[in-house]
Amino acid sequence: MSAVTTSAAPTSAAPSHRWTFGRQLRSEWLKFWTVRSTIWTLSVMVVGMIGLVVLISFPMRSAVGDFMSAEEALWAPFEFAVNMGSLAVVVLAVLTITGEYRTGMIRASVTAAPRRTPVLWSKLVILFAVVLVAAAVAIVLAFALQAPIMSSLDASIDLGDAESQRRLFGNVLYLATIGAFAFAVGALLRHSAAALATVLGLMLVVESLVRGIPWEPLEYVRPFMPSSSGYLLASSQESIDSMNAMAGHGIHLSAWGGYAVLVGWVVVLLGLAAVLLKRRDA
Amino acid sequence: MIEAHDLTKRYGDKLAVDRISFRVEPGQVTGFLGPNGAGKSTTMRMIMGLDRPTAGTVTVNGRPYVEHRSPLTEVGALLEAKAVHTGRSARNHLRALAATHGIGDSRVDEVIEMTGLQSVARKRVGGFSLGMGQRLGIAAALLGDPRTLILDEPVNGLDPEGVLWVRNLVKYLAGQGRTVFLSSHLMSEMALTADHLIVIGRGHIVASGPVQEVVDASTQSSVRVRSPQAAQLAELVAGPGVTVTSTEPGLLTVVGHTSEAVGEAAAGAGIVLHELTPVRGSLEEAFMSLTQDTVEYHSATVEGGAPVDAPAGEEVDR
Repeated sequence: MSAVTTSAAPTSAAPSHRWTFGRQLRSEWLKFWTVRSTIWTLSVMVVGMIGLVVLISFPMRSAVGDFMSAEEALWAPFEFAVNMGSLAVVVLAVLTITGEYRTGMIRASVTAAPRRTPVLWSKLVILFAVVLVAAAVAIVLAFALQAPIMSSLDASIDLGDAESQRRLFGNVLYLATIGAFAFAVGALLRHSAAALATVLGLMLVVESLVRGIPWEPLEYVRPFMPSSSGYLLASSQESIDSMNAMAGHGIHLSAWGGYAVLVGWVVVLLGLAAVLLKRRDA
Repeated sequence: MIEAHDLTKRYGDKLAVDRISFRVEPGQVTGFLGPNGAGKSTTMRMIMGLDRPTAGTVTVNGRPYVEHRSPLTEVGALLEAKAVHTGRSARNHLRALAATHGIGDSRVDEVIEMTGLQSVARKRVGGFSLGMGQRLGIAAALLGDPRTLILDEPVNGLDPEGVLWVRNLVKYLAGQGRTVFLSSHLMSEMALTADHLIVIGRGHIVASGPVQEVVDASTQSSVRVRSPQAAQLAELVAGPGVTVTSTEPGLLTVVGHTSEAVGEAAAGAGIVLHELTPVRGSLEEAFMSLTQDTVEYHSATVEGGAPVDAPAGEEVDR
């Protein structure tokens, strides 16, 4: 009876229509650019960072000699700008993943990619790459615009200097990696407000307290703070040394060692998020 | 083809689906009918790999959904309206899903046209009505031209024209030899759309089979007779296994005889008939009789302001 109907069963669509990781990346790329929050947060980040470097460079230039060295005056605007830029990156990164949970889109996503974790990895790749490029653009343009402002000083950021290269590149890499960190927290908590509160609370409150309160046990906690340790990659060797000197018998971190702490956080949180994504009902 | 074996899902203390086994065959529309909270959506979510079964297995086209290398061309599903990012346009939503399988924009535009979404395809989904959301969900399900379609309450929120469209669409797709599995709590809709029924109540399958079979097995057909000599006729047809009831003078409802038997008996006795109507059980009646003990959320019979089954704890609060 059913033999007739089943023999007429349509063969599934062209065999080329198959899921691949490359296609998942393409899908996430489309998703990334087709929501407004992406455009907003990226514009705020790039424009804000360039603007802050330019604006803060003027008072810094005037302050040279009285309070700070020319070296500090050159770099301080970048530190302010990257601090601000990291907030925009955190918002973008969190929304990239929690937006799917908020709207139920995640179910459509894991229906198309039922192994689930590729959704996480492909989103992360797109987010990291885009933030890396946007941060590089912002830092390069800020550097170019700062140079004429600071030309009256007898110092400048020397692009041939290994430490300067490390600090410029460190700013870019820090922004992309703090994005990955926020993304991982978002993937774990699956809730925009909770994830934003956690990451921003950690960066703006917890880490400031841990850094600022001179209580000995905190010396053992301090090196494991994701954001401040990660930013060591963009810090001067001088400040890293003085920080390590103050740490007494605590743990000493190098620039890359500090960055490795942040990467460690990202790896652990993403691993946990991947396991939970597999296990939990979507 | 969908096959479930001893499929079970427990949420905490609550057994949502309790060891159900069933098979959904290709080439026909299979209706999945049950009251709210009976376990329809949970079952469908387990088929699609969204919920992990507590026990048991379910396969689609021969293997668990998550093992398919080309899931969208195997199975298309509408599980809840608006599993869609509200900030994205309908077309971009479909393009993003299609991209995972290398399905081109031409197919995206095709399903947009099929579902009648052309005029709103470039608008953000956040502003969509329930009906448009349903159409978008169906469009997404059709993207991969799948062999099996799973639609959870597809006519929810659709206008009459939309309901008719869904009915014709699923029948057409089943006619092509595809497997179509459709859930609803709307019995009348099921009666018109489905060929085969699986009725679920409180996590158990309470009936399954061709629609008419399910109806016949769980309802009584009767004969309505109107006659000026009703009392005489009632005596005439009475017998073992036959019940005759009367709700108004001159009107009898006979259970246990065919209309032919009643008509011939009347003719033999020279009794005048004004009406002789065979009354078949409806799916609605079948559904009620099948699920009356299994309805999860009874409308509370309110007496004296207190729900009949109010838990003791609530009394303390008052």
